[in-house]
Amino acid sequence: MALSRRQFVQTAGLGAGAALTANVWGRGRENSIWSAIEPNLQAVEHGVICVSSNENPVGPGEKVLGSLRSLLEGGKKPGRYSNQVGELTESIAAHFKVKTENVLVSEGSTEILRAATQVFTSKTKALVGTIPTYEECAGYAELIGNPVHGVKLNSEFKIDLDQMLAAAKGAGLVFYCNPNNPTATYVGAKATRDFLQKLNAASPDTTILVDEAYFDYVTDPDHETHVPIAIENPHVIVARTFSKAYGMAGLRQGYAIGHPETIKKMRQWVGSSGTGSLNVFGMAAATASIQQDADGAFTKNERNRNKAVRDMVTKWFADRGMKPTDSQANFMFVNIGTPAKAFREACRAKNVMVARDFPPFHQTHARISLGTMEEMQKAVQVFGEVLATKKSTAAA
Amino acid sequence: MSVSRRGFLQGLGVDRTHAAAFMAARGHEELVAEAMQQGRQGAARRPNLPPGVEAIRISSNENPLGPGKAAIDAILGKFPEANRYPFNSTPLDADLEILIAKLNSAKRENVVLGVGSQELLKNAARVFMSPTKHLVIPSPTYGDPAGFAQNALHYTVKSAPVHDKTLKTDLSALLPLVKGAGLVYLCNPNNPTGTINSAQEIKDFVAEVKKTSPTTAVLLDEAYCDYATDPSFATAFPLALATPGVIVARTMSKAYGMAGVRIGYAIGDAATIKKMAAYRMPYNVNTFGVAAAVASLKDPQHIKDESARNKAVRDFTTKFFADLGYTSTDSQTNFIFTDIGKTMTAAQFRDACAAKGVMVGRDFPPLEKQWARISLGTMEEMQKATEVFRSVLKPATTTSSGKGQ
Repeated sequence: MALSRRQFVQTAGLGAGAALTANVWGRGRENSIWSAIEPNLQAVEHGVICVSSNENPVGPGEKVLGSLRSLLEGGKKPGRYSNQVGELTESIAAHFKVKTENVLVSEGSTEILRAATQVFTSKTKALVGTIPTYEECAGYAELIGNPVHGVKLNSEFKIDLDQMLAAAKGAGLVFYCNPNNPTATYVGAKATRDFLQKLNAASPDTTILVDEAYFDYVTDPDHETHVPIAIENPHVIVARTFSKAYGMAGLRQGYAIGHPETIKKMRQWVGSSGTGSLNVFGMAAATASIQQDADGAFTKNERNRNKAVRDMVTKWFADRGMKPTDSQANFMFVNIGTPAKAFREACRAKNVMVARDFPPFHQTHARISLGTMEEMQKAVQVFGEVLATKKSTAAA
Repeated sequence: MSVSRRGFLQGLGVDRTHAAAFMAARGHEELVAEAMQQGRQGAARRPNLPPGVEAIRISSNENPLGPGKAAIDAILGKFPEANRYPFNSTPLDADLEILIAKLNSAKRENVVLGVGSQELLKNAARVFMSPTKHLVIPSPTYGDPAGFAQNALHYTVKSAPVHDKTLKTDLSALLPLVKGAGLVYLCNPNNPTGTINSAQEIKDFVAEVKKTSPTTAVLLDEAYCDYATDPSFATAFPLALATPGVIVARTMSKAYGMAGVRIGYAIGDAATIKKMAAYRMPYNVNTFGVAAAVASLKDPQHIKDESARNKAVRDFTTKFFADLGYTSTDSQTNFIFTDIGKTMTAAQFRDACAAKGVMVGRDFPPLEKQWARISLGTMEEMQKATEVFRSVLKPATTTSSGKGQ
């Protein structure tokens, strides 16, 4: 596996990247495609604070849970699955003021990431993404034997647009995760628009998948969804998920918005169409979620709640001389100066789940998802104890 | 939350529980296939019913009663954890794999989960086929693997017809096609014919395949196995566990009544399952479904009861058609496949039934001129439905006008 992976992976731009790539791409996902085989038993037990998976600690809200309850109470006509796909699609289209033919609902955004990689990369058309970023596209490209080009982030841990542009010429698909996971940084709307334009000009056949999983958490004033561009431009796709701000990671709902022709190409690779299906609870909850957010109040509240927690945790680290990146998401990426693994294990022993490895920064950086304020007040205590021990051990 | 949940559960009367069950149960695959056949999406799914008529839907091989109470309770219990990924949630997706393994004297590495069995069927095509390694299927059979292989992957599919009288899958006719094949797909019991191949026949067939074409994989889809009552039928789990390249796919969508919940799994030897697991979408199964599946699998009595309930309805419906002079295949499933060809085509039957509020199965080429697939609802539903069938078909003995009425 390692050998064949190395054949596929090439680094664009910085020479130093070559050493990183073999391990960076296609390593374990949040729980890895190998979860059927690797023992990985870490359910969130009672009393454990889980800040490891960028979930929304508050959940989807009472209204959404009520809609699920009403499903079980028989308030809705059961069994009309296909109509539910239709209703969810229509609700998403209405929310963004686009047509239903611009929308493709899916099993989490994961399925969109896979479908785009499937359709737009090939043996001769590579996937291009940053190192590090959310691994699904690269992992899947590798799985189907298509080449992957990694581009290092810039010194602020943001997408390096010049390097990205250079690497993307002739590529099949650019994965543009913004805000980026795991670094939490955000490239402003104007810079992204310019990038899309330049890339279209330089490489007209290259498709760009803008992953807006964490968009609802962005507070940078220069932010805008790229949905309006995607519906016009067949080479731009936006991926969204209900797993983050909408708080329903367990229900596996996501979607793509794009040009009808682009959506059409991906459709047969997505379970919501053809002979597949999404689960009824997820569809009902997703429909209720996006309908209740028609005025944006739900996401605004969630964004504000998250920002207060993010500010508190950012300040806590800064006060101790550990500067996180400029997080625009519901997690942060912090240089703790010690390997993530040791930090993770020490925190786990104190009932805080946090910080999986993100090569090439796993020796120094930890990704910390943001729980509730109450959870994070407890969590930073644990971080303090753990990091103090590390330092005293190091000094000894 | 727990208080309100309990209150809610107590508030569920019999009718509500039934409604909940009904909701979770209704299948999807065939519904979509039907819609596609009609060439429309969305609204097309409902037939034009006379005003005030509530449809009896016996078109999609669903369990009309849905999941048991244990499963519904498990789903309700998941509400507070909707925000958690399946790998952080209780029970874990891994717990479901371990439970499935334990129940089948296997290990976790022998099990892979799917979003229904459809993800597994598609992934098997991807793993074992290539532009030069074709798919072998009986005709007719469940269409998903062949459809995906042809339309999405652009791979070749070869088929052999079922036995012309019994409509049983003709394994000896498939054998000449397997040389160099990537994958053989057998649905056992078969959809839409309802027939089975015995455990011995399957065993012998697999041995022949391995002899003729050692690298060819065999996918046995046992979606309807819980409804089989013929003693010669047995699951191929032991065969799959012992034979590299043999996989059994299962779904919670049929007897377990959870078509809307989207949980399936496959069992095979570790190396074979590892190949399948590579294609498994990360965090593919939803947490509500995992909880419901775990609860259901711990309640085997419910499935025994469901199988007995279904058999009574199957016997009743089969006898109804026999009394009218129409032959059905020997169904071992929750649907029957009936020869109405002397009176009308499946399409004519379907349209006539829909006009009276009964939705029956779609066309199954190449048998659609003659054979109709009728899923089994509850006994009450089937008592009503058979009256509709009677009025639509008229007693065959007095029908001399032939087709096209």
